[in-house]
Amino acid sequence: MADHGDWRPPRPCEAYRAEWKLCRSARHFLHHYYVHGERPACEQWRRDLASCREWEEHRSAEAQRSLCESERARVQAARKHTLVWALRQSPPADWHLPLPQEEKDQ
Amino acid sequence: MAGAPAESGPGAAAGEQLPQQHVACQVFPERLAQGNPKQGFLSSFFTNNQKCQLMLLKTLETNPYVKLLLDAMKHSGCAVNKERHFSCEDCDGNVSGGFDASTSQIVLCQNNIGNQAHMNRVVTHELIHAFDHCRAHVHWFTDVRHLACSEVRAANLSGDCSLVNEIFRLHFGLKQHHQTCVRDRAILSILAVRNISKEVARKAVDDVFESCFNDHEPFGRIPHNKTYARYAHRDFQNRDRYYSNI
Repeated sequence: MADHGDWRPPRPCEAYRAEWKLCRSARHFLHHYYVHGERPACEQWRRDLASCREWEEHRSAEAQRSLCESERARVQAARKHTLVWALRQSPPADWHLPLPQEEKDQ
Repeated sequence: MAGAPAESGPGAAAGEQLPQQHVACQVFPERLAQGNPKQGFLSSFFTNNQKCQLMLLKTLETNPYVKLLLDAMKHSGCAVNKERHFSCEDCDGNVSGGFDASTSQIVLCQNNIGNQAHMNRVVTHELIHAFDHCRAHVHWFTDVRHLACSEVRAANLSGDCSLVNEIFRLHFGLKQHHQTCVRDRAILSILAVRNISKEVARKAVDDVFESCFNDHEPFGRIPHNKTYARYAHRDFQNRDRYYSNI
């Protein structure tokens, strides 16, 4: 975690509010149930919004810690499955090459 | 792909089916009339190719799913050029489009894409394949599991399996039905471009499903509609701030 004077919340507080509001909407309940077969959990967005506001008003170290922990948990959750393929170190060499000549001649 | 049937050569690495069709493989070229989406205003004055080009341009400029994918690909070193990386062509059968990894080109089936919403979805679907090709060593032609993984991701993240689209296909289901749809459409897409049995395709999808269904790159979430896609794009544009502060 960046522990120096120029730390700021990973997202603007308005983004936490927008995510919380979206999460609690009836539409999102329907989408989430359609995909996962259960109701969504929105409480963490509410906690993160509160931490963000707490940090903005009081520069609370506890709020900073809580936000970092929450976002790192989200990143971990997104990365927990082993990928089927190997990631590239550089893009495909032929991505920008012109099309084969016979295509151009058609 | 360039006018050749998908299964006759290296051809299409990955294909996408019309929403209402159940015929999966291009060896059966019969087309059911009711499978064609409603033709709009453009059909009276433009050729299929011109319509395709116009709809593609609108998609590239305005659709939030596509704009995020284009940004992500540019960030990965695969900037997309409309003239180089897209081709509007007539296709056999009922396929809507495909990604040809051998030429790094997305083919749009101008005779099978009838309206803007369909174009949006096909471009999103094929750009997900292009994105996978750009960021990973995908063995499109030699490992059916890799193809299956990209098809699972494309069906999951492009809106192919939205509740509304499934209802239009007369597939009624709610609780976790999205996952059933993703599996089924991934299998159909595999069968459209590979001459393998349904059982082999199904096994490949089953093998990779857990990993690939939960790989939401570059969206970071399943974008259920344009609002989610816009939020995902906002997060992508904010990623430097995000990763430097956690």
